[in-house]
Amino acid sequence: MAIEMWVLATVVLGLTLYAVLGGADFGAGVWEFNTGLRASDRQRALVYRAIGPVWEANHVWLIFVIVVMFTAFPTAFAGISRALWLPLLLALAGIVFRGAAYAFHTHSPGAPRQQAAWNALFALASTMTPFFLGASVGAVAKGKLGVDAQGGFDGDYLTGWVSWLSLFTGFFTTGMCAYLAAVYLAREAQGDAELAPLWRRRALAVGVLTGVFAVAGLGIVAVDAPDLGLELRRRGWPLVALSLVAGFLSLAAVWRRRLRMASFGASTTVSTVIWGWMAAQYPYLLPPSISIQSAKAPDGVLRALLWVAVIGSLLIAPALAWLLYLFKVSRTKPDMRTPVSAVPSKTTSPRGG
Amino acid sequence: MRKQERLRPKGVKFMMNPAVLFASGATDLLAARCQMALTLGFHIVLACFGVGMPVLMLLAEWRWLRTADEGWRTLAQRWSKVFAVLFAVGAVSGTVLSFELGLLWPAFMAKFGSVFGLSFTLEGVAFFLEGIFVGIYLYGWDRLSPKAHWLAGLPIAVSGVASAWFVVTVNSWMNAPQGFRLEEGAVVDVYPLQAMLNPATGAQTTHMIVAAYMVTGFMVATVHAVALLRGGPRRHHGRAMALGLALAAPLAPLQLVVGDWAARVVAATQPVKLAAMEGQFRTQRRAPLRIGGLPDAERHVTQYAIEVPGALSWLAYGDVNAEVRGLDAFPSGDQPPTAIVHVAFQVMVLAGTLLLTAAALLGWMRWRRGQWPSGRAALLGISFCGPLAVIALESGWVVTEVGRQPWIVHGLLRTADAVTAAPGVRSVLAVTLTIYAMLLIGTVVALRLLARVPLPEVAHGD
Repeated sequence: MAIEMWVLATVVLGLTLYAVLGGADFGAGVWEFNTGLRASDRQRALVYRAIGPVWEANHVWLIFVIVVMFTAFPTAFAGISRALWLPLLLALAGIVFRGAAYAFHTHSPGAPRQQAAWNALFALASTMTPFFLGASVGAVAKGKLGVDAQGGFDGDYLTGWVSWLSLFTGFFTTGMCAYLAAVYLAREAQGDAELAPLWRRRALAVGVLTGVFAVAGLGIVAVDAPDLGLELRRRGWPLVALSLVAGFLSLAAVWRRRLRMASFGASTTVSTVIWGWMAAQYPYLLPPSISIQSAKAPDGVLRALLWVAVIGSLLIAPALAWLLYLFKVSRTKPDMRTPVSAVPSKTTSPRGG
Repeated sequence: MRKQERLRPKGVKFMMNPAVLFASGATDLLAARCQMALTLGFHIVLACFGVGMPVLMLLAEWRWLRTADEGWRTLAQRWSKVFAVLFAVGAVSGTVLSFELGLLWPAFMAKFGSVFGLSFTLEGVAFFLEGIFVGIYLYGWDRLSPKAHWLAGLPIAVSGVASAWFVVTVNSWMNAPQGFRLEEGAVVDVYPLQAMLNPATGAQTTHMIVAAYMVTGFMVATVHAVALLRGGPRRHHGRAMALGLALAAPLAPLQLVVGDWAARVVAATQPVKLAAMEGQFRTQRRAPLRIGGLPDAERHVTQYAIEVPGALSWLAYGDVNAEVRGLDAFPSGDQPPTAIVHVAFQVMVLAGTLLLTAAALLGWMRWRRGQWPSGRAALLGISFCGPLAVIALESGWVVTEVGRQPWIVHGLLRTADAVTAAPGVRSVLAVTLTIYAMLLIGTVVALRLLARVPLPEVAHGD
């Protein structure tokens, strides 16, 4: 495999982990948003407790993807930055508000009204970020952005990214995040008489909805982005099929309360969507003008980048494993976890006053 | 063209006409630069706390481990809450910067992204470790043994410094670019390590890291000095202030030496920036060091300055008779806005000098009495140190960034050629200003709420 392919694989891995891990953090906020912020304090406590220790680390996958992209494929990065000016700015605003509102809500003992304001901001921002990032992916995949081979752009900065496909991918990404979050939270709430059934119900509801939406999406692709549709049928179909099967199995596992299985299925579904998209637009980074070959940095840079990735992952992997073990694995063992019931269940905020 | 057609006499209408608001040209460049300055200037303060706070938290926790005095644990825990807020806001404001590199300066990234990108990737690794261990440290107080918890904090401090170092190497590369060749405008023969270890790297990274510790230490000392002035619990705030001063005060004299080093590097790599910093319009031997003064770009003189004859020649090149190139040695299109750079430099030097004086006085009293002074006058003085350190930090960045203009990469790519052609940069700036104002207010409110939480009994008493 050529060196640029290894680097691209690193980018795809980072993107996948961002979607699977960071996506669930956004999804938790999507639920806050979609339930009209009416969650009880116990429900909210589970959400905040689940994402607290990990969201910073999960967020770094996005930074990682960005820096590797502009180091390894600078013209593609410039083209994306130009053509997706507006959706990226909006996603960025979402990222800022989500992180800040989460931190203020969690770490600062505000009065109930302040807490409610932070929470509302957290919910809104958590919803808009995956929408605009997803829409950006759709805009790239459609292949009609009007970026030239050097990364120049002569399209419309404000509306060039809008298409049926990008709107679909925006909503689809948000739905996927919500599904991931519901499945993970159902797993974290295991044993809780109120929260476990709630999240299971939610996972089933949004899972069915997103599944139907996904199938409809294949139709949108065929009509709105025939080139992408052709490549999906030609090259991406095994991954599309795998995604549908994994999604179905994951839903079945939620139904049967096999939540470990369900989490695995849900993350496989999301991963294979990303890989299917990658396979369909291969060998292009920004179809139809910028390919992996045309955008790649000199080999020396790519080699150095891979070394950093390898050595970096030797440092990061054990640390990340420890973090996840401490706050995800050992927590789902009943004896190790702080009972959610320790949080007062009345309407007073747990940190209020 | 379009702009002239649509000009309106009344300012308000002018602002509200979207066609004018979206007009391109020099104002968009200025808006993009303001946007970068605003977001960088905001982030840099938080970044300093990201580097410095872990050290203070670990010191306090260390004292708790050694003495079993619960007051130290209380201090470490309260600081870690503050750190959690600052780190989160710093993480998102840093994300803004990584997006903005492409959104605002796409040509810069397209051309040179591969040359300096490795530094950012390394920074990404360091930031990753930092994010992971921040999660473990903040949420692990009850889940880890005290010793394991302390050890989990160490990587935060280490990767904080590493992040700062890697990021500043990119800025130093923009000042002293190397490690590649240009062939027909395209970058070839890239040596990322050579790019990272450019002539400006050593001085700039050291200057910044020392500054980060000084900002953190002095700001912490300020916050707790103010609490003491307001009659807060003496033991708790006294300890906290002492740790802050112990971190920052010894670095003040060191920063003088490092700053001198940094200036000599500027003299060697960017003589035009040095000329602007010093308000040196004419090329001359025995160039004087100007203290204060206001450069007049039209008449090519720096007025109202106190001049120390030969001192600039000596500081820059080690010889009072050395020739210092003035702005007249460079084409007018290559000169930075002299007044801003010179005044910012004077402000930084003044703030640094005041801090050095304060550090010397406080250190002397500490040495004489065996403890940091806690009289009203001393506390009042300390309460100015933190803001002074932030002023020095910000004006220092103005010097290095405005002083590099009109280049984004010194001598190779002009900022005007790198800026995006996207419409509405000024609207984005307006929105960003609003968002950052909210962010600032939110952060201040959150920190004030944290400060108001009453101390547990164990930390009380004198």
